[in-house]
Amino acid sequence: MTFACQPTTAARRHRRSLACLVAAAVAAAVGAHAPAAPAIAPTLAAHCVGCHGRDGEINGAVDLRALLEAGSAGVDADLLARVLDAVRDGEMPPPDAPPLADAARADLVAGLDGLLAVTAARPARTPLRRMTRFQYGNAVTDLLGLEGDLFALPECICRDISGYFAPASGRMPDTLMAGNRIMGKGQLIVDRLSGVLPFPQDPRAANGYDTRGDLLALSPVLMESFLELSRSIFASPEFDETTCGAWGRYFAPPDGSEPVPAAVSRRLADLLARAFRRPVDPDVLGRYVAYTLERIEAGDPFPTAMQAAAGAALASPRFLYLHDGVTTGPAPEPLDDHELAARLSFFLWSSIPDDELRGLADAGRLTAGPVLAGQADRMMDHPRMKRFCDAFAGQWLKVEQLVAVEPDPRLFPDFSRFGVVSHAHRASAHMMLEPLLVFETVFVENRPVTDLIHSDFTYRTPQLRQFIARAGTFTPPIDGPAWSETLRFERVPVTGLREGGVITTAAIMTMTSGPSETKPITRGKWVVETILNDPPPPPPGDVPPLAEAVAGPGLTQRQRFALHATAAACAGCHARIDPYGFALENYDPVGRWREVDGQGLPIDPSGVLFGSVPFRSVEELKAGLLAKRERFARAFAGHLLKYALGRELTTADRPALDRIVAHTAPAGHRLRDMLREVVLSEPFRTKFNPAAEPVEP
Amino acid sequence: MPARTTPSPALSRRRFLRGAAGTALALPCLESLEAAGTAAPPVRVAFYYVPTGVLLDEFFPGRATDPARMRSSPHAHLASRTLEPLEPVADKVTLVTGLDRIWRNTSDQHEQCGSCFLSSIDPRLPGGSRMPQGRTLDHVIAAAVGGDTPFRTLEFSGNTHRDHKESIHYDTISWYGPDHAAPSMRDPQLAYRRLFAGAATAPTARVTDLVLADARSLALELGAADRRKLGEYLESIRSIEVQMDRLAALRGELERMRLPEPAAAHLPRGEHLRLMGDLLVAALQSGLTNVATFMAAPERWDTGFLFEGISGTPLSHHLLSHVGWSEELRQIDRFYMAAFAALLEKMDAIREADGSTLLDNTILTYGSGLSNGAAHDVSDLPIVVAGRGGGRIASGRQIRCPPGTPLANLWLAQAAAVGLDLDSFADGTGVLPGVLVS
Repeated sequence: MTFACQPTTAARRHRRSLACLVAAAVAAAVGAHAPAAPAIAPTLAAHCVGCHGRDGEINGAVDLRALLEAGSAGVDADLLARVLDAVRDGEMPPPDAPPLADAARADLVAGLDGLLAVTAARPARTPLRRMTRFQYGNAVTDLLGLEGDLFALPECICRDISGYFAPASGRMPDTLMAGNRIMGKGQLIVDRLSGVLPFPQDPRAANGYDTRGDLLALSPVLMESFLELSRSIFASPEFDETTCGAWGRYFAPPDGSEPVPAAVSRRLADLLARAFRRPVDPDVLGRYVAYTLERIEAGDPFPTAMQAAAGAALASPRFLYLHDGVTTGPAPEPLDDHELAARLSFFLWSSIPDDELRGLADAGRLTAGPVLAGQADRMMDHPRMKRFCDAFAGQWLKVEQLVAVEPDPRLFPDFSRFGVVSHAHRASAHMMLEPLLVFETVFVENRPVTDLIHSDFTYRTPQLRQFIARAGTFTPPIDGPAWSETLRFERVPVTGLREGGVITTAAIMTMTSGPSETKPITRGKWVVETILNDPPPPPPGDVPPLAEAVAGPGLTQRQRFALHATAAACAGCHARIDPYGFALENYDPVGRWREVDGQGLPIDPSGVLFGSVPFRSVEELKAGLLAKRERFARAFAGHLLKYALGRELTTADRPALDRIVAHTAPAGHRLRDMLREVVLSEPFRTKFNPAAEPVEP
Repeated sequence: MPARTTPSPALSRRRFLRGAAGTALALPCLESLEAAGTAAPPVRVAFYYVPTGVLLDEFFPGRATDPARMRSSPHAHLASRTLEPLEPVADKVTLVTGLDRIWRNTSDQHEQCGSCFLSSIDPRLPGGSRMPQGRTLDHVIAAAVGGDTPFRTLEFSGNTHRDHKESIHYDTISWYGPDHAAPSMRDPQLAYRRLFAGAATAPTARVTDLVLADARSLALELGAADRRKLGEYLESIRSIEVQMDRLAALRGELERMRLPEPAAAHLPRGEHLRLMGDLLVAALQSGLTNVATFMAAPERWDTGFLFEGISGTPLSHHLLSHVGWSEELRQIDRFYMAAFAALLEKMDAIREADGSTLLDNTILTYGSGLSNGAAHDVSDLPIVVAGRGGGRIASGRQIRCPPGTPLANLWLAQAAAVGLDLDSFADGTGVLPGVLVS
């Protein structure tokens, strides 16, 4: 049973306030569509209620009796959604129950879908959220027109050295130079302002992103960092007209054509409107102008006084927090133009709106669908989309976890002796960029997102190719480019389904392995989280320890972990996690193909996908995922929307996901199309911020 | 601008600000402390957290059945191999056995271990989060014993991982409230600069005025939930203002300590814990804070740590914990206990103004949110209370609690020890008997 749509705390609060309203709506809706419900009742009665409601047996806290009596007000949208997902993905009925025929399953899915469509879910709320470190750095860079970066961030893992990333071209070059920012120390040395220290990296949510509003907290220690950071930017000896593109716009002494107070006011109105993402309120502007003029009167040179005001603005909550205004009704309301501009630019560019976007918002034109779509297209052609690829792809794939991997050097000597001289030449430094470059290619070339499951190309360095082919340690020419931290990646064709896409890359396979053996459950969990966006619920509280005896030799990983599936408390989830991991057993702990496991025992990769599609190999598993392309497209759309909105998705977001998938289906779910549809989706364009706390019932 | 509505009276601006600043900062310090002036050292409260539980029969005296795993001691409450490092301060530590914590079936066990260790809110209480998590004890009692220290609380961590494998709930034991983490300092050099070389960069009052005005006007434009979240901003700014003033007043004291600045370096595990421990002790000694937490390592994270002296290759504490007894796991338990003992010895060597030691005036609790890590067991937690809390804490013994006693009963006792008589805390049912000097 899936818990993917667990209501957030905020959602639960709204449940209370809206309970009556929702109940009334459900009653009305179900009454109006009475024919939809009876179709599912016989199947539910025959296959589900025996374990979920009859005679007090309520497995997994799922009680389906209310569904049988649809028409009563007891139907809960969240429950419906969970049941629908479980039935559609073939998790339910479980393997030990009488099977559900394909036709009956399809009918049940359709019936549940129909019922869900008329069942009002609690509105989801996109919360106020503090900028992440990555967003802060980009926003300041763009606001001040800085040359280079504000600070060097390991968040952008794949560093574009040859200028390969050109989305307007629609084509990734066959050969490109890239650097691994996390694993090459030299990669962090970039043009930046000295004396500016970034604040600590933001935590990311489990199976989520660092944009999660509820987890982006502020504390005194972090506030100190923000204050110090905003001060240090302008105190840096390098901050001057050569490094700050906006110097003339804000900081250069006025030429005398207007009085100083007028110049201060005009310039600050522009600066604050950009920093705060909306035309500045006269009161707010007045305070900043007064502060600046005070400093000038106290003897500060004009540039210094203006920089002090700009520094304060960068520590203001109006800058630091992405926020939308209050709403008045019981349902979500459209964002205003400036709120929409900010949401769009932080989604695609991880930064504040540019002048064109701001101009459209000022003119009140952005909320119109075609204009919005046109702006999304324009922005997706811009090199700033590298920021989206950096921020989203790395977190979606979780490739940072590869940093700490330490394969046993006795078993995998060529992993750490990959290039001898430095950390940058551990195999993992090369591996990590492969799935990221595949992702960037899918974006730049607007390819179907199913290319992330399987693509007929990939990007590898010559060293990595040789490593994966087990062709011995690569011997680079002394002093040749291979000895530097700049890595040369080449686009290589992929034939067959063993390679291609992201799942079977050496990066993911190594990252989900231990020092000496693979970790099938970790691999399976990665697949259900990343590819299916269906994270398992927490393991039960009373896990019996696996007996030490079963760890002995002579058993494959699969045989050892079979014990998980025998304990009733574990079986449900492991039945849907483990098969993906076992299917990947043909990849060794450093991601290379193998026919036998580390003990020399034969590998059995077979399993059943979605409860109904048997597969005998990883190739067949991938083919099965490709055949169910809408399942992956939906999961991927969910990841995009979570990242964009900074929150968990709820049942209320399901229609939007359905539409994104449906609208992009004709062209094969291409990545740019999906991004555009996310931007056009209802959750992206609305807000729901009631003025009062919900009243406890 | 979006349509505005009048804020409800319940969340008026005034109350909003009072909530942010008032409750957190304006509670008077204890009369007893104030009356005593500088002569009576303040009581400090600190927590040392170890992830993933321990090997029970190596930890609890009398639990082992294999003679090879037993250790005798003149101090019955320390008669186990894991507790051996505490022998030098045996009469200043108390072993507390039989305490339980709540696990709520809404998220991973490890996710709740550290993040709910110091709160353990009854899930049946209203207003809870998806976990039994609330404002943690350190923040609750900081209001009482925080006094006029520059930092209300300080948070230290021994986590040096860079792979961002787990979310913040696995990595933080100190929380302002549900899902509102108090981030910890984990780089000794940066921590040093913040604590002992800070204040040079204090923001001017004008800047904080300016941004506070922005916060107040912004709050009027927001919905209720967002307004509450923005409270974090106001509280942070207020804390910093107070902190800067008080740091300036303490400057002479800090300079007299002559603590060397740690070098920026990748340190061996034990060395890193020792340096962070030094900073913790110095902060408590110098009056930078009276309340602190130290999370020795994060929960679950299966990335290995290189424990010098145990193994030449990195060991994953979490993965080892699920295999059962191993010599490595035993030594990891001991490693963290030895680091704890070193803290205690250091504190016991520091003389305070009245001749007592820093340890005499501190309540420093060692604990983990799991007992048997292999089974994710949240009952019979390993807990050691060190220090005498200014003479209010009984020590040198074992306290055996009846099965099912909430860990929060110990927290109620510790709150009482610093003069904070809480009607209730978390799922506690009453002050744990035997903790306080009767």
